[in-house]
Amino acid sequence: MSARDKIDPASLPGLDALLAAVPGGFGAFHDPIERRARLAAVLSASAAGLPANDRVVTTDRMIPGPLGAPDTQVRVYRPAGVDGTLPGIVYIHGGGMSTGNIDGEDAIAAMYCEQLQCVVVSLEYRLAPENPYPAQIEDCYAGLQWTGLHADEIGLDRERLAVYGGSAGGNLAIAMSLLARDRGTPEISFCMALYPMVDDTSTLPSTHEITDIGVWDRDTSIEAWEWYLGGRAADGYAAPLRNPDLSDFPPTYIDVGEVDLVRDETIAFASRLIHAGIPVELHVSPGSYHASEIFSPGVDLSNRIWSLRIDAFNRAFGK
Amino acid sequence: MVDRSRIDAESRVPLDALLEMLPGGFNAISDIVQRREVVAGLQAAVAAAVPPNDRVTREDRRIPGPDGAPDTFVRIYRPKDVQGTLPGIFYIHGGGMVLGSIEGEDAAASLLCERVSAVVVSCEYRLAPENPYPAHVDDCYAGLTWMARHADELDFDIKRLAIYGASAGGGLCIAMAMMARDRGFPAVSYMMPIFPMLDDRNVTPSSHEITDVGIWDRAGNIQAWAWYLGGKEADAYAAGARATNLSGLPPAYIGVGELDLFRDEDIEFATRLMQAGVPTELHVYPGHYHASEVFAPDAELSQRLWKGRVDALRRALH
Repeated sequence: MSARDKIDPASLPGLDALLAAVPGGFGAFHDPIERRARLAAVLSASAAGLPANDRVVTTDRMIPGPLGAPDTQVRVYRPAGVDGTLPGIVYIHGGGMSTGNIDGEDAIAAMYCEQLQCVVVSLEYRLAPENPYPAQIEDCYAGLQWTGLHADEIGLDRERLAVYGGSAGGNLAIAMSLLARDRGTPEISFCMALYPMVDDTSTLPSTHEITDIGVWDRDTSIEAWEWYLGGRAADGYAAPLRNPDLSDFPPTYIDVGEVDLVRDETIAFASRLIHAGIPVELHVSPGSYHASEIFSPGVDLSNRIWSLRIDAFNRAFGK
Repeated sequence: MVDRSRIDAESRVPLDALLEMLPGGFNAISDIVQRREVVAGLQAAVAAAVPPNDRVTREDRRIPGPDGAPDTFVRIYRPKDVQGTLPGIFYIHGGGMVLGSIEGEDAAASLLCERVSAVVVSCEYRLAPENPYPAHVDDCYAGLTWMARHADELDFDIKRLAIYGASAGGGLCIAMAMMARDRGFPAVSYMMPIFPMLDDRNVTPSSHEITDVGIWDRAGNIQAWAWYLGGKEADAYAAGARATNLSGLPPAYIGVGELDLFRDEDIEFATRLMQAGVPTELHVYPGHYHASEVFAPDAELSQRLWKGRVDALRRALH
């Protein structure tokens, strides 16, 4: 039985459309520049089906990068016509640490901004293999710090600051929670990490099960970790499943599909957070492949996944 | 020691009231007969707080027990004013294998009947320590096969048969799914073990963590397993965590609270189901103690738990 047979039937057309645009899946493109272009095309095609969200106002800003590194970009989203202090999300896009950008997840960031009536700050960060670890976490931390320091200017409530990301963005949301804890600032009140990459070892059963779906398969994942680590040994920020200390982590929401390579490491990480006494909400959805709610929008499964996240954010923000 | 600030605030109110009335919780009552009466009284008090569900009909039936054992009882629930052939849910009450009854979970069984729109058959079974394993699984299997053989009379679609149970009922739910698979009857299309009791070994972190919440703590769990097993070694039907073959089981939905002794054994079991290729939906909720939705039915968390279950059963069965 192929893992593909376990995918929600309603979510298959979205996957097949992706595979038509990216023959063989993302892993078939070993040139990172080509792979980035393919991902951007798929994402803009899926967002192209939506009218531009004019209920939110966006501002692009260049902000100082980490010490000795180039400036980096953030995009600030605010609900149109809403003044005052709002809860905030630092949004970190996915793409295996080697692809993806703010634009590719613009529609999602805008959706959260509108639905939650919150400020969203979406971060750009340097990509591997040209820029290996720790470029990603240091760029993201620069964006996170900037957000904390400019809270008043962008109308953000410092006491309700969440970090959010899927896939590589899930890893980075977790890494930001750890870095903020260890460096003492800013205070993060909630972490939402979706199907996060947390384990560089590729040893758990689900990393062997998912070999040919085309979105995030075993070979692709192994290559991505190699690019990200650039020959270094992974530490507890690069691969958070290795982090021996998960205490004082913010309350966390985690979801993952059953048909996802990162399933077992995600469940293992959630369990470890729970063992450390952290409030954790975990949902595992059968039939969902890696990021299926993005590539197969509008189907019942995807709607359910989004709705659980929105509800959890509303509770976390005290709404 | 569990940090009580981790308990969902709304769900904590009735728990604190319960513990004030009953220090140590009901498992602190050493006499099992008295413990059953107190729990039945608690369940009746929770039930009395809301009007009885009159959108469903109930019919009690005495049915043959397993070979050589006494008859057993089922209660059949049907939604009123619903047309067409409905799916079926075989419902197994909880109570640590040592207490509980059909009557005690009447509200939950009628809720599923009404909101899922299904014929529900709730099953009585003998309890430990008077009746150790395998009395429970044998009685439940007698109930399950009776339900399947009477599909025409009960007027439900045998192709859409689910099993539901919470706590000990969740353990029995998984045991029934395995027995039905191994004995070739009946075909079960879906199972929903809720915070199931699966592991007699009491070695997981959560089995050490949950010592004083007051509903289902370590000491009570160890005693319940000892009574249930009655000196026997646990096999896969007694303790699902010990099963080595999980392939061929029906698609599953497992929900458990973060503050539940069964948390780690349930997450582990769900993970193993997935690794065995069984489509599995898993939900872990912060702030949720064992059966909090029963004790705090009006809490927002409780309503969310029930909505998740009802929606999943509707997707699986309709």
